[in-house]
Amino acid sequence: MEEKRIGVYVCWCGTNIAAMVDVEKVASGLKELPDIVVSKDYKYMCSDPGQDMIIQDIKNHNLNRIVVAACSPRMHEITFRKALENAGLNPYMFEMANIREHDSWVHTNRAEATRKARDLIAGAVSKVKWHESLEKRSVPVNPATLIIGGGIAGISAALELANAGKQVYLIERKALLGGTVSALDLTSPFLNSARQMIDHKIKEVMDHRLIKVYLNSEVEQIFGYVGNFETTIRYNKRETRLNFGNVIVATGLKPFDASRVTNYGYGRLPNVITALEFEQVLKDGVILTRDGREPKNVAIIHCVGSRNEDYNPYCSRTCCMVALKFVNQLKSALPKATIIDIYSDMRSFGKGCEELYSDTSKKNVMFLTFDHKADLPQIRQASYDDPCNLIIEFKEKFSGEPIEVPADMVILMVGMEAHENAKQVAHGVGISMCGNRFFIERHPKLDPVATTTDGVYVVGTCQSPKDIPDSVSQARAAAARILATILAGSVSIEVTTAEVNEKICCGCQTCIKVCPYSAISYSQEKKVSAVNEIICKGCGTCGSTCPTGAIKSKHFTDIQILSQIEGLMSLQEVY
Amino acid sequence: MNENPKIIAFLCNWCSYTGADLAGTSRMKYASYVRVIRVMCSGRVDPTFVIKSFQEGADGVLICGCHPGDCHYHEGNYKCLRRFHLLQKYIKQMGIQPERLRLEWISASEGREFSELVNEFSESIKALEPSQIKESIETFS
Ligand SMILES: Cc1cc2nc3c(=O)[nH]c(=O)nc-3n(C[C@H](O)[C@H](O)[C@H](O)COP(=O)(O)OP(=O)(O)OC[C@H]3O[C@@H](n4cnc5c(N)ncnc54)[C@H](O)[C@@H]3O)c2cc1C
Ligand code: SF4
Ligand code: SF4
Ligand code: SF4
Ligand code: FES
Repeated sequence: MEEKRIGVYVCWCGTNIAAMVDVEKVASGLKELPDIVVSKDYKYMCSDPGQDMIIQDIKNHNLNRIVVAACSPRMHEITFRKALENAGLNPYMFEMANIREHDSWVHTNRAEATRKARDLIAGAVSKVKWHESLEKRSVPVNPATLIIGGGIAGISAALELANAGKQVYLIERKALLGGTVSALDLTSPFLNSARQMIDHKIKEVMDHRLIKVYLNSEVEQIFGYVGNFETTIRYNKRETRLNFGNVIVATGLKPFDASRVTNYGYGRLPNVITALEFEQVLKDGVILTRDGREPKNVAIIHCVGSRNEDYNPYCSRTCCMVALKFVNQLKSALPKATIIDIYSDMRSFGKGCEELYSDTSKKNVMFLTFDHKADLPQIRQASYDDPCNLIIEFKEKFSGEPIEVPADMVILMVGMEAHENAKQVAHGVGISMCGNRFFIERHPKLDPVATTTDGVYVVGTCQSPKDIPDSVSQARAAAARILATILAGSVSIEVTTAEVNEKICCGCQTCIKVCPYSAISYSQEKKVSAVNEIICKGCGTCGSTCPTGAIKSKHFTDIQILSQIEGLMSLQEVY
Repeated sequence: MNENPKIIAFLCNWCSYTGADLAGTSRMKYASYVRVIRVMCSGRVDPTFVIKSFQEGADGVLICGCHPGDCHYHEGNYKCLRRFHLLQKYIKQMGIQPERLRLEWISASEGREFSELVNEFSESIKALEPSQIKESIETFS
């Protein structure tokens, strides 16, 4: 057996780890363990000097296994694997011990956290001894892309790809493209016409020879893997099979159902309407109350269903600016009316937004505040002798005084939610949802449009509430990512797959029954099973089910995990 | 009572490990007895991993996977669940209290649930005597 020469690197992560874990003691203590040639601590292992240190040590000390104890492998495993590669070592000769997310950040006793770090590293060291070189495999990429959702995000991605000469299949469940933007009149913050913007984009899509649009269609289940997916959709009552290399999910938003906030009487009080309904009023061109009169007082209420533990805890990010858009449109359509904007905080980040706020506040508009954490405003029908149709009662935030505001029309700034069917979509394409039911990106900062499923991207408001510019940026970013893989011609796929040892396999075919991807088949001729490593996604279920131990789950083999357990439990209690 | 229990937790990469990471990024504090082993899916947790953990002296073993229906590989957690019931019976026969082995579902967004689970499981393991399995195996062999 080859000699194991292990290098261990314990990261301080500034003070993130070092404040709770005695990194120097851990690193020096490890020198006692067998096979450890180098053991060091360093301020920031992921920095260039940190990585260079590993590369130099690999070369100078002939290291053949590396352990880094630092943040979560979900954060930097790839970074360090690349460093190994740069040093000429197989990237899989690496293991990470998570002493930040799972240790220094969650514990309060330095001695205990230090002991835990030491144990986690000992586990990683025992495991890495059994690591084997794995060769990257790549498969050709089908240059077509499937886009689910034909709102502004889906449309933007489709055009970006098709204009680069690549085939796009655009699936829209409604009868028309355009999504929410088609329902808008003007757009904040620059008050441009939504229709001018979206209509010609829709036309461009419909006319594009490389974009095949499937209206009134939905996708159920996608099969395959990055570069080579397939699905069957129902279109015009016929089953159509599509093959594509990448997927963009752009299923968009659902406006919050205002009737859930009973205080506002939506559904009961006819002159209380939602922002989306008011967009239609604006598109129709005449602003009238339900009984056909011109309103003298129009009130707007922010944060409907947003920033509230009873509904959605998050901010919907666009409604403050949409409210200001409405204020401006109301001011020009009804110059004599009183406009009352009732908000909790005015969120006007983004290009042109603070400017819109400051311009609007010069326009003789009544801005009032309520406390979104206290009781929400209450809307009631005014009585006959009141000079208005509705009365809004609430406690003014700064004075703390209860006030009553007259209104003939109230516009509720409903927030954004994920669609009810987000879960089915997530399942169909194999991605996850966060607690608020938006799809999760691979990394919130460094990889905001990819997902943990290679080849599947999430863009627009299905990923989180956002405005049109942000939705379009994400869409085009995802398209660019896909174009890059198409250009490369091939993508590397999972190498940590399963493998059957034909000498041990008894042909019982238990593994075939448990594989969720039908990646295993039985050879009548050889009387043993075999894994198709292109289809296998490396879940490891067959490995833990095979009664003879014939299956090796690469990189998570039995011996690797059993050794990790031994390592974790190997060190003395006191330290 | 066991003041210093040793607990091994097998977390699936996609939901539970990410949930535990979230507990970290949200700086939720919890008991420090748990040592995590990452597997791609709870379906990978081979019975021998659990037995080995007890043999090496673990006082408790926790397995966490995605909620039913949410497994990244569709159904690995169902396979795990089925195996879990058999395993509990099996460890009982070995003389290990079945409550030393727990299976729970933790999603990627459930950092709080993860930290609460660790605290609660740690308390329940602390309430038991230290596991004698390692010693009894050593005397046998
Ligand atoms: C009242 C209101 C006013 C707004 N005003 C502005 C503004 O002035 N300025 C601004 O920048 N932003 C504004 N926004 C935000 C803007 O509407 C969004 O940023 C934008 O619509 C996001 O586009 P999208 O493509 O992500 O989603 P959507 O526009 O919601 O499009 C999603 C599309 O996907 C389709 N779909 C959903 N599920 C499926 C499925 N399973 N299969 C197939 N198709 C599916 C839907 O039918 C829809 O066509 C406003 C939002 C609202 C609610
Ligand atoms: S953008 Fe404004 S109105 Fe919308 S939820 Fe956030 S603070 Fe409330
Ligand atoms: S379960 Fe194991 S022994 Fe049975 S067919 Fe599959 S690989 Fe062979
Ligand atoms: S590791 Fe999972 S996907 Fe691969 S062959 Fe085994 S059961 Fe199927
Ligand atoms: S991936 Fe989490 S249980 Fe299967």
